[in-house]
Amino acid sequence: MSMVLQLFSGWSLIRAFTVLVYLFMFLPVAVVVLLAFNANQFGSFPMEGLSLRWFVALWHNDAIVRAFKTSVLLGSLTAVVSTTIGVMASLALVRFDFRGKGLITTAMIAPILVPEVVLAVALLLFLRWLEMPKSFPLLLLGHVIFTLPFVVLIVQARLVAVRREYEEAAMSLGANAFHTFREVTLPLIMPAVFAGVIFAFTISFDDVTGTLFWKPGGVETVPTQIFAMLRNSISPEINALGAVMVVITVAVPLIGAALARRMAAALK
Amino acid sequence: MDETTRYQRLLERFRNGDLDRRTFLTLLGAASLTAGLTGGPLKGLQRQAFAATPDSVRFDGWGGVVSEAFRKHAFDPYTAKTGITVIDGTFASGDEYLNRVKAGQEGEYNIFHASGVFDYARYVNLGYDVVLNEDNIPNLKYVMTALMEPFRKVTGGKLSAAPYDYGTTGLAYNTDKISKEEMAEKGAKILVDPKYKGKIGGWGDWRTRIWYGALATDQNPNDIKDMDAVWDAIRAHRDLALKYWGSGAELMSLLAEGEIYVTEGWSGRIAALQQQGHPIAYYDAPGSYAWQECLMVLKGSPLEACEELLNFMLEPDVSIAVAEGQNYPPALDPTKVDLGEKIPTLPAFDPTGKLTNLTFADPAYWNGHEAEWSKTFGRVQKGY
Amino acid sequence: MSANDADAPGARPWLLMSPALAAVTLLLVVPVCFIVVYSFWLRTAAGGEQVGFFLDNWAEVLTDAFYRDILIQTLRIAAISTVLCILLGYVPAYFIARSTTRHKAVLILLLMLPFWISYIIRTMSWINILGVSGALNVFLLWTGIISEPLQILYNEGTVILGLVHFLLPFMILNIYVSLDGIDPNLTDAARSLGCTAWQAFREVTLPLSVPGLAAGSLLCFVLGAGTYITPMILGGPRDAMFANLVFEAIITQLNWPLGSALSLALLAVLGAVVMLYTRYAGINQLAKSFR
Repeated sequence: MSMVLQLFSGWSLIRAFTVLVYLFMFLPVAVVVLLAFNANQFGSFPMEGLSLRWFVALWHNDAIVRAFKTSVLLGSLTAVVSTTIGVMASLALVRFDFRGKGLITTAMIAPILVPEVVLAVALLLFLRWLEMPKSFPLLLLGHVIFTLPFVVLIVQARLVAVRREYEEAAMSLGANAFHTFREVTLPLIMPAVFAGVIFAFTISFDDVTGTLFWKPGGVETVPTQIFAMLRNSISPEINALGAVMVVITVAVPLIGAALARRMAAALK
Repeated sequence: MDETTRYQRLLERFRNGDLDRRTFLTLLGAASLTAGLTGGPLKGLQRQAFAATPDSVRFDGWGGVVSEAFRKHAFDPYTAKTGITVIDGTFASGDEYLNRVKAGQEGEYNIFHASGVFDYARYVNLGYDVVLNEDNIPNLKYVMTALMEPFRKVTGGKLSAAPYDYGTTGLAYNTDKISKEEMAEKGAKILVDPKYKGKIGGWGDWRTRIWYGALATDQNPNDIKDMDAVWDAIRAHRDLALKYWGSGAELMSLLAEGEIYVTEGWSGRIAALQQQGHPIAYYDAPGSYAWQECLMVLKGSPLEACEELLNFMLEPDVSIAVAEGQNYPPALDPTKVDLGEKIPTLPAFDPTGKLTNLTFADPAYWNGHEAEWSKTFGRVQKGY
Repeated sequence: MSANDADAPGARPWLLMSPALAAVTLLLVVPVCFIVVYSFWLRTAAGGEQVGFFLDNWAEVLTDAFYRDILIQTLRIAAISTVLCILLGYVPAYFIARSTTRHKAVLILLLMLPFWISYIIRTMSWINILGVSGALNVFLLWTGIISEPLQILYNEGTVILGLVHFLLPFMILNIYVSLDGIDPNLTDAARSLGCTAWQAFREVTLPLSVPGLAAGSLLCFVLGAGTYITPMILGGPRDAMFANLVFEAIITQLNWPLGSALSLALLAVLGAVVMLYTRYAGINQLAKSFR
């Protein structure tokens, strides 16, 4: 009896549940990738025909390709800046005691509490008062401010669990604060930093409202392009773009790992 | 202090031990950031407005096929002739764009593809209009007078925009489920017909809902006597509707996939669905909502450059290319310009050029009620 | 021990926080001040603003039942979504934390995969799954379980579904980050002292994962309460949320003063939630337990 219980209440149940959750997460992804091959523009299932025409159209659609490059650049820069200043701020908030800490923490998280459309307009009004024109660096700053809370939240949750004794030990051995951080703290919080980078990038990549308002002339990101396309219809080119990106995200690490293995084997 | 001096000063202090590395890097970063922000390429936009020949003119439109048509047929030739680049922007809705202009700086936005005299009047009321020198836009002679008149009325005989295309928001229905006879019999009342509960759609735009509410209660949309009856009709529609769609994409996909059988819809999008072979027909009930779009020039823009660009965009080739891409007939007078094969087949197209059969919204009436009606609709829409 | 300045905070925390503080001050605090000022102005007939000190907007926001009802609806939807995220997300987070390093990276990557598809597209793809001619109905019709397609779209359930799908990775990653930092020796010690696996989990692992759980919950709740695109695409006419009201006031009705007042009201409510978090589940509380 207990063996049966063990079979069902053990790791296998956990794994099955996880698989189900992942399937749920992938349902829209699968649909989008499948429909990228749809011969018709509308109509979902069952698909009446397969076609690669949307991929071809995507290849020729300069606007989307440009927007994609802009989105990737903006997202990467946002991730780097946001994570850096976010980690620094988290260190300060967790490791030190000072007046107003609760208020400052709330302020750091506040950007996601304000509806984005309001933040967008308010920031523009501020810019107008300063008589500063819109520019890419300003768009970047806008993205940094609303990705910052994600980084701070996730890093500080991890940082509280890192025992101070490790850092104190390193420092008593003569390491200065920066070395301690680099050699001791950073490796211990690496998963959180990594998660922060990913969050910052994807939030920035996906942002619609703020970017709509802050983008300088001639600059388009993938979401703003899609939003503009909604008026006339979403062409499955966008599904094709999604499919391509999914393939890249899956293929790049696999290829990287395969290459690494081959190089390691060649070196032997 | 110029940048080089600032950096040198910082370096000196760092080397002398006055700054520790972190502070140095922070200050350096701050300095670079400031340089990047204030020395940006878009500074001096205001100066551009008064310059005789600006470097660039900005146009904002709906993107996609229309943008491509403009780029190919109008912007590139314009740049070739004048040397002025055209910067292309997009927006997803007229309301969003107005908010961006309102929050923006003078001279930042130059020309845009406005929808409706209503929109035109809004910009005028907020003081964003200019007076165009029509001698600089000879192609205006091809535009239908019937379309220019409403604009002139708003801006005291002058123009701040060039009419560009027009269309209607009529009733779109699935021919497999609803017959032509039934449509002719019920007209706008079909949108509140309990027979199709859960299969009705509608645009979430307050103007359209009120317009059709008026038609469903047999009233003149430009002179509504019983507003309460209209709100009740809108509530009835809300309770029978599956969804308020908010974009052409949603409209087309809801109809094409059979989620809804009837809704009002934009003539161009319905034409596109028909071209793809879906069983959707279009019916303009009496009093169907007609509207026009224009290219409007905003205050602070370099006038002569914009007027020239407008002229390029009004060239028959460009208008026709855009019209065929959007499926909305151009503002060009069919009696003066040959519009080709496709345009006469578009819904809402009027071959006489007089547009007497189309009912446009009266801007004075609708703009006057904007504040009150948009707010009340916000509540009614959500169940109140 | 002059090298050890961990005890005397001095300027160090402020220095560390300076870039973030500068960003928050310039890009959030100052704009919010603008919003506060605007909330006391009035909309003119043309859609501009009349400068002055008027309490009309605030009176309306605080007394009108319409706003209160929508706010309650919003908080309810956000809370349900957050709870669902916890129930659905904890186990996968545990699974990832207990996997080998190579699998961990892959699993996290897979988790973020849906984000590569723009949010609008992802949300609209639910229509292809749940719609009348969507995958689910096609499947049910084909197997004969139903004879007429089911109408499942465009109600509160669909909105929650779309929200949970969007929020789940945030929850999972936050919990995972906490779980990953737990010393495995602790659970081993508990087991060797006679606890069952479940007891070890309940007494050791679960409490130590609370920071991540709390952070994830806060994030999910706040993001859920502030969303407007999901109800716009997946909701029916009555499923609007508070951020839709703000969006409409500003964009559709050109009523910036009212929109400002509404967003400050939302900010106050959500800010209160965050302050609760920092007091009870946040940094202060847990830092104490690790001194």
